[in-house]
Amino acid sequence: MTARFASLKARRALTLYGLLLTPTVFLAFFFLGPLSIMMVYTFLTPGLYGGVEWVFSHLNYGRILGWADTRYDQFDPVYISIFLRSVRLAATTVLTCLVICYPFAFWVARQPERWKNFFIFLITLPFFISLIVRLFAWVLILRPTGFLNQALLGMGVVAQPLDIIFTDMAVVIGMTYVFIPFMFLPLYSSIEKLDGSLIEASQDLGASPLQTFLRVVLPMTLPGIVGGSIIVFIPSLGNFIVPSLLGGARVVMIGNLIEQQFLSARNWPFGAALGMMVMAAVLLLLMIYVRILSREDKQAETQQPKEEETR
Amino acid sequence: MTAVLKIESASKSFDAPEGGKIHALKDVSLTIAHNEFLTLLGPSGCGKTTMLRAVSGFEDLDAGEIYIEGEAMGSRPAHKRPVNTVFQRYALFPHLSVARNVSYSLEVAGVDKAEIRKRVGDMLDMVGLTAFGERRIGQLSGGQQQRVALARSLVARPKVLLLDEPLSALDKNLRHKMQEELKGLQHELGITFIFVTHDQEEALVMSDRIAVLEGGKIQQLDAPEALYRYPKNEFVARFIGESNLLPGKVVATSGEACDVQLSDDTVLQGCRRGDLAEGTNVKVLIRPESVVAALSEGTSGQAISGTISESYFIGTDYQLVVRRDGLPPFRATVRAHTDASRFAAGEPIDLFVPHDGVHLIAAEGAAA
Ligand SMILES: Nc1ncnc2c1ncn2[C@@H]1O[C@H](COP(=O)(O)OP(=O)(O)O)[C@@H](O)[C@H]1O
Ligand SMILES: [Mg+2]
Repeated sequence: MTARFASLKARRALTLYGLLLTPTVFLAFFFLGPLSIMMVYTFLTPGLYGGVEWVFSHLNYGRILGWADTRYDQFDPVYISIFLRSVRLAATTVLTCLVICYPFAFWVARQPERWKNFFIFLITLPFFISLIVRLFAWVLILRPTGFLNQALLGMGVVAQPLDIIFTDMAVVIGMTYVFIPFMFLPLYSSIEKLDGSLIEASQDLGASPLQTFLRVVLPMTLPGIVGGSIIVFIPSLGNFIVPSLLGGARVVMIGNLIEQQFLSARNWPFGAALGMMVMAAVLLLLMIYVRILSREDKQAETQQPKEEETR
Repeated sequence: MTAVLKIESASKSFDAPEGGKIHALKDVSLTIAHNEFLTLLGPSGCGKTTMLRAVSGFEDLDAGEIYIEGEAMGSRPAHKRPVNTVFQRYALFPHLSVARNVSYSLEVAGVDKAEIRKRVGDMLDMVGLTAFGERRIGQLSGGQQQRVALARSLVARPKVLLLDEPLSALDKNLRHKMQEELKGLQHELGITFIFVTHDQEEALVMSDRIAVLEGGKIQQLDAPEALYRYPKNEFVARFIGESNLLPGKVVATSGEACDVQLSDDTVLQGCRRGDLAEGTNVKVLIRPESVVAALSEGTSGQAISGTISESYFIGTDYQLVVRRDGLPPFRATVRAHTDASRFAAGEPIDLFVPHDGVHLIAAEGAAA
C-alpha cells in the first residue's frame, strides 16, 4: 500500500517536472536571457557609437537616482520627474479606464446572452486595425482644427479651440483608448459572476443601494478591479507610442526616454538602467498584489472545513 | 389575534418569454396573525416565490396592497420593509465570515459595536454555531449554511420572516432535524413565519395554517388537519396525502349525515359539510388509510368489496390496489396481519369505510 502510494507519488512528481520543463526552458531562453543581458549592461560604460564597453560603471543608476559623473555633468532630477510623471499618467489612465468600464461592464452583463457576446466582440474589434493608424485618428480628432474642437466651437461650448493635443490629457485619452479592453475583460468576468441574489439579500437585510454597493458589489468585484488595473498600469507605464504621437515633444514619458537612449542617444547602458527602474516599479506592484492575495487565501485556509454537523 | 400581515387582492402577472402573460398571483387575499407559522404550499410555479417577493418588496403588485402591522407598503423598497428573507439558495455573502454575515443587518442599521457583538453571539448560540463565527461560508456544510442564513435574517428581529423553500436542498434526515429546530426557534422568538414549500408532509408537520396555492390562487387556507380531512376541492384532495376520489351522487340527506351512491351503485353514508343537495354530483374522498380490512366474517358496516390486484408489503402495512367493476382502482393501506396470505393478489377483500372517512367534494364544474 505504502509502496504503491510512494511510486504513485514519484510518478506524479516526474510528470510535474516533465510538464514544467518546457515553459522553464522557454522562459529562460526568451525572458531570463535578454533580461540578464540588460541587467549586465546597466553596469557597463556606453560605447561611442552605441553598444557597450566592458568597463564597470555605477553612474547609469547614479544619473537617475542622485549621483553623477562630476567630470561631465551634475545630477539632474529630470529623470525622476519623468518617471513620476509616467506613474501619474499611467495611474490616471487606470482610473479613467475603470470609471468607464465599471458601469459599462454592469450594463453589458445584464444584456441577453447574444448581445453580451456581440459587445465583447465590439470591445476587441480595434485590435484588428494597426495601432499607429488608430492613434493618428486621435491626432486628427484632438488637434486644434480637429473634429472635437470643430464640434465644440460649432455648438458654442468654447470660444477658442481647446489645447488638447500634445498635453498630458491627450496622452491619457490615447492610453485609455488603447488599454480599455484590458480593463474591460477582467472587470466584466468578475461582474458577470456576481450573484444577483446577494444584492437582493443585502437589500432584504436593510442595506440601502449605496451600502449594498460598498459592502457587497465592490468587494466581490475587487479581483476584477485589481486585475484590470494591473494589466492596464503595466503597459501604460512603459508606453512610448502614445506619448510620442499624442504627447509630442511636450509630454515625455519614461518609455520615450528609454527609446531615445537606445535609438538616438546611443546610450544603451543608461537606457537599460531606466528600463530596470520601470521593471522595479512593476515588480513592487505585483508583489503587493500577490501579498494581498495570499493573505486572503491564508485567511480562508486557517480553518479547514469540517463536514460533520454541530449538533 | 392581531394581524401582522395583510395581503389584499394581490395580483401580479409577468410577460411570458413566449409572449402572452403569466398570472403568477390572481386576486390573493390573506391575513396572518402575530406569531403564526403559515405555510404556502403548492407545486412548482404556482406563485409561492412571487408572493414572498411581493411581501419583501422585490416585486411590485399589479393590483392590491400589502399591509404590515396596518401600514400600507405600496412600492416601498425592500430595504425599508420590516421583513427579512431566508432565500432558497441561502444567498450568504461568501466574502464575509459567518459572524459578519449574521451582523450584516445590524451593521447597516448603525447599531453600536458592543450591542452587535452581543446580539450576534446570542444568535449564533441559538442556532448552534457558537464556535463557527470566524469561518468563511465556503467552509460550512449545507446544514450549517442553512443555520447561518436563519441567524442572519433573524438577528434584527423582523416582524415577519419569509422562508423560501429553505430546507429543499438538505438531505432527508437533516431536513427533519431542521424542521424541529425551525419550529422551536419560531416559538422561542415569537416571530411570524411565512414558510414556502412544495413538500406537503413538511407543511403538515410545521404549520399553524397552510395556504394551498395553485395557478396563482389560494385553493384553501386551513389548519393542517382540516386541510387533510376536509379538502375543499379535488386539487387540494389530490395534492395533500394519498387519496381515492370516486365519482358519486348524493342520494339522501338528513342533517349532518348524507348518503352517496358510487358509480357501481354501492351506497355509502358519510358526513356532510357545506350544502350538498340531493342529486348533486360529487367526488367521494376516501383516504387509503381510513379503511379497515375485514378481520372476521362477523365484522359489519358499510364496505367496498373487490378483488386485490396489487399488493405491496411496506413493513407495518400492506398497500393494496383493489378493483371492483364500475369503480376506478381503489387504493387501501391496511395493517399487516400474521395471516398475510389474505392480502395476496387475486384474493377477494371487504374494505370497511367508517362514516367519518367519507368526505364529499362538489364535483368540478357541477353547481354545488
Ligand atoms: N421574473 C419573471 N418573469 C417571467 N415570469 C416569471 C417571473 N417570475 C416568476 N415567473 C412565473 O410566474 C410563475 C410563478 O412563479 P414562482 O412564484 O417563482 O413559483 P413558485 O415559487 O411557486 O415555484 C411561474 O410560472 C414563473 O414562470
Ligand atoms: Mg419558488
